[in-house]
Amino acid sequence: MIVDNPYVALPPKAKVYNEMESLIYHFKLIMHGIQPPVGETYVQVEGGNGELGFYVVSDGTKNPYRVRCRPPCFTIFQAYGQMITGQTIPDAIAALGSLNIIAGELDH
Amino acid sequence: MPIERVRPGVVKVVPRKLTFAERLYLPKVIAGMFVTLRHLLHNLLNYKKLPIISYPEVKRVYSERFRGRHILTAREDGTTRCVACYMCSTACPAECITIEAGEDERTREKFPVRYDIDLLRCVFCGYCVDACPEDAIYMTRDYEMAIDTRARAVVGLRDLVVPPNFPVEPMGWRPYYEPLQKKGTAGGTGLGQPLREAPYDDDAPPNPDLYRGE
Repeated sequence: MIVDNPYVALPPKAKVYNEMESLIYHFKLIMHGIQPPVGETYVQVEGGNGELGFYVVSDGTKNPYRVRCRPPCFTIFQAYGQMITGQTIPDAIAALGSLNIIAGELDH
Repeated sequence: MPIERVRPGVVKVVPRKLTFAERLYLPKVIAGMFVTLRHLLHNLLNYKKLPIISYPEVKRVYSERFRGRHILTAREDGTTRCVACYMCSTACPAECITIEAGEDERTREKFPVRYDIDLLRCVFCGYCVDACPEDAIYMTRDYEMAIDTRARAVVGLRDLVVPPNFPVEPMGWRPYYEPLQKKGTAGGTGLGQPLREAPYDDDAPPNPDLYRGE
């Protein structure tokens, strides 16, 4: 998947080898990166277990000033404590399985 | 509700009342084992439908665009195409590529004296392939990179450079060549890859009957 915007997407290789402008864009994009405007944004997509969102703060340079990931499982997992209180240990395992958590998303 | 708030910070938890079978413990253990046993029997009876392969003998064919171990392609005279421009090491998010540039005394051309990729750091994103302006670095479909010491994970020029006219066409991740994919092709990247009739055999989900090692 690639967008039709030369400021963001790398030019196709056939153009890089044959056109000066494309080669310049290629070098600029690799060396200096995408130049976003100063500001902040939150973008969410539908993930496997819920809303997966990214909050990005930009100071206008190649690297973001701050990035925060909002993983779906992290939010769902907060109910786990209430779900298993007073239950047996086998219930805890089954409840954890039914939540379908992804451990990497809980690492916050 | 099993949770009862007594005062802020203190809750009273009433455990769930267990049934007689649960208190005996053994019937539920057997019931749990029965589930395991049912899966075992089901798989034994339908073992031909199991999605397994006899791995070292039979290898799964991955996608045309699989990102595996890197190679450095060579020119026809055998020297590497890499000109040590540091584009790949700049694009690398894992910072696993170390390049030391040198100058060819005869042709006054820049070339890499040292080109190390730490395969343990590498995340196999393929950005180095996209960044390379010389078609020098490619990724193969080779995924067998087992090592016995950490030092061996660092591969240098000796391991990366392939002989000239090395058949790179059917190999893994290639640079993005054309803005639009041709209609009727699955995942081809234009000039870099031979255009074939869709769907690619490799892109289809693995057929267990096809890859069973017998």
